[in-house]
Amino acid sequence: MGFIESAFFDFSRNKGRTFLTSLGILIGVLAVVLLTAFGLGLKASIEQQFEDLGTNLIRVVPGQILKDGNFSNSSSAFTSIEFDEKDIQKLSRIREIENTVPIFSKSIIVTVGNKKEISTLYASTAGIFTALNVNADFGKLFTESDVNKRSSVVVIGPNLAEDLFLSAKQAIGKSVTIEGQKYVVIGVTNKKGGGFGGGPDFDSFIYMPYKTAYTFNTNKTFMAIILQTKTDEEIKPVIGQAEDILLKRYEEEEFSIIQQEELLSAINSIFAMINTVLVAIAAISLIVGGIGIMNIMYVTVTERIKEIGIRRALGARKSDILIQFLVASIILSLIGGLAGLGLSAVIVFFIKPYFPAYIDLNSVLLALGVSSAIGIIFGVFPAKKAADLSPIDAIRYE
Amino acid sequence: MITLKNIWKEYPIDGEELFVALRDVSVTIERGEFSSLIGPSGSGKSTLMHLIGLLDKPTRGDILIEGKNILEYNDDEISSLRNEFVGFVFQQFNLINKLTVLENILLPTTYTRKKLSYNPTQKAMEIMERFGIASKAKSYPNRISGGQQQRVAIARALIMSPSLILADEPTGNLDTKTGKEIMKLLAQLNREDTITVLIVTHEKDIAAQTKRKIEIVDGRII
Ligand SMILES: Nc1ncnc2c1ncn2[C@@H]1O[C@H](COP(=O)(O)OP(=O)(O)O)[C@@H](O)[C@H]1O
Ligand SMILES: [Mg+2]
Repeated sequence: MGFIESAFFDFSRNKGRTFLTSLGILIGVLAVVLLTAFGLGLKASIEQQFEDLGTNLIRVVPGQILKDGNFSNSSSAFTSIEFDEKDIQKLSRIREIENTVPIFSKSIIVTVGNKKEISTLYASTAGIFTALNVNADFGKLFTESDVNKRSSVVVIGPNLAEDLFLSAKQAIGKSVTIEGQKYVVIGVTNKKGGGFGGGPDFDSFIYMPYKTAYTFNTNKTFMAIILQTKTDEEIKPVIGQAEDILLKRYEEEEFSIIQQEELLSAINSIFAMINTVLVAIAAISLIVGGIGIMNIMYVTVTERIKEIGIRRALGARKSDILIQFLVASIILSLIGGLAGLGLSAVIVFFIKPYFPAYIDLNSVLLALGVSSAIGIIFGVFPAKKAADLSPIDAIRYE
Repeated sequence: MITLKNIWKEYPIDGEELFVALRDVSVTIERGEFSSLIGPSGSGKSTLMHLIGLLDKPTRGDILIEGKNILEYNDDEISSLRNEFVGFVFQQFNLINKLTVLENILLPTTYTRKKLSYNPTQKAMEIMERFGIASKAKSYPNRISGGQQQRVAIARALIMSPSLILADEPTGNLDTKTGKEIMKLLAQLNREDTITVLIVTHEKDIAAQTKRKIEIVDGRII
């Protein structure tokens, strides 16, 4: 019977105590694995949405959103200027720009018969489909001439189409009512996924020619302008020129020009911060769990002093005893770690249909590595105590 | 084979005071001897046996094995000597109850650093056969009789083929008949296997069965 079986024997004799001791590690590992599972899922889904958009996009938005690469929290982030057609015309004159996409968006209620759905209206040029990398699965997208003619047409996302018309196909040619006005659905976009954690849910949008939308947008203003260049190299010069143009009309802190990559790295730095907090919480519960293990291992050593004496009398070295107790404490910690991992897997399995959480190999390795490390760190003192007992005192112990 | 020279063993009691358990003890045990260490309870027999068995260290004095002063050895070397050179048999048997009889007997072989020239399990089975406990190989120590437990302890002491077996009151927890059988077994090991055997006892008729008697009173050999 090796150390491992011997350790299991002791733990199986004290099931209740073993369970309570591993509980701390279980909770710690559960926290680490679940939080990374959710974090990973959220991050992956947001990154996916940005990747879909491509990198040659520049966003012009009001206020100062980014400051030194992070999301700004100063009040200027909320400065509310709005862009108008004049800005669009001036910006579209920049030579390297291929596509100027003004955006007016609004939360609206769409009605079909007695069905009502809440959706987000995106009013723009036909160029919005190129910029967002959106295609029509059914019907067609609206065109520049629809914009200029102020055609009463809309293109809707597949989820919204299913909610309102049962299937995307059936939506084509039907009309929807938005704030009392009727619009004909001429196209349904392809499925893009997303919409988690505040990211845009493209599949439930309504796209409308921006001039048609002047009914809702009486000031004829826009909350953002997307500029698309031919290549990534042109991004820098375009940003410079766009800045010069806008500075003639607005103050420096009244608008921001953001590159896709900058936004991505700002989001990443938010995740890094959230991660740090999560790691700190997990670390605390793991330390508490580790202290529990240390306590129990001290008790175990005391219970087994006589056995230690017998083993020493039979020729066991200090290092043999040290390893025996270290293995026991690693196993104790691993029991908690594996239970935490198993429980997280179950939770993730049940939550997956509603949230893109997943456990990757790194989380598994992290859980096992961390619980082994806790077992070693908090087991080494009790094990050292066991190893350093004098053989004669140990064997005479009653 | 093993020589103790001017050994003193003192225990501190209540701070300042010292209790002297062994006073200037010098004794030599020769290879192949069958001897007993006899004296009244509390006279220091076990203390002396633990020093001979390298379980403890004297306050003063030297212990020589084959002429080498083992007090200069480090803890690992002394552990290896205990493992290979000595076999202990205790009054309380000192078996590990969560291990089977066979696992108990094999325990010393798991701690050895030298390559064994035999298959340990096979050798254990042979010893158990010889001691009439083969059928108990898979039993746990607390499920077998005292006489059987002491046989297991002796088998465990034998598994590494030691030069010396130290038995501390080996019959102390057994009835007279079983005690006699255990004494016969130890005598047989000395005679047939030429193992040096030292029996610690406070009973004159036990000591009478050995060839040499070392008497100890109040920590002094007389
Ligand atoms: N660790 C110790 N601390 C203090 N006194 C001890 C210790 N070990 C033994 N003694 C004392 O030393 C004396 C001899 O003990 P021991 O060798 O066990 O006697 P015996 O085996 O002859 O009965 C006893 O009085 C005992 O109380
Ligand atoms: Mg004694």
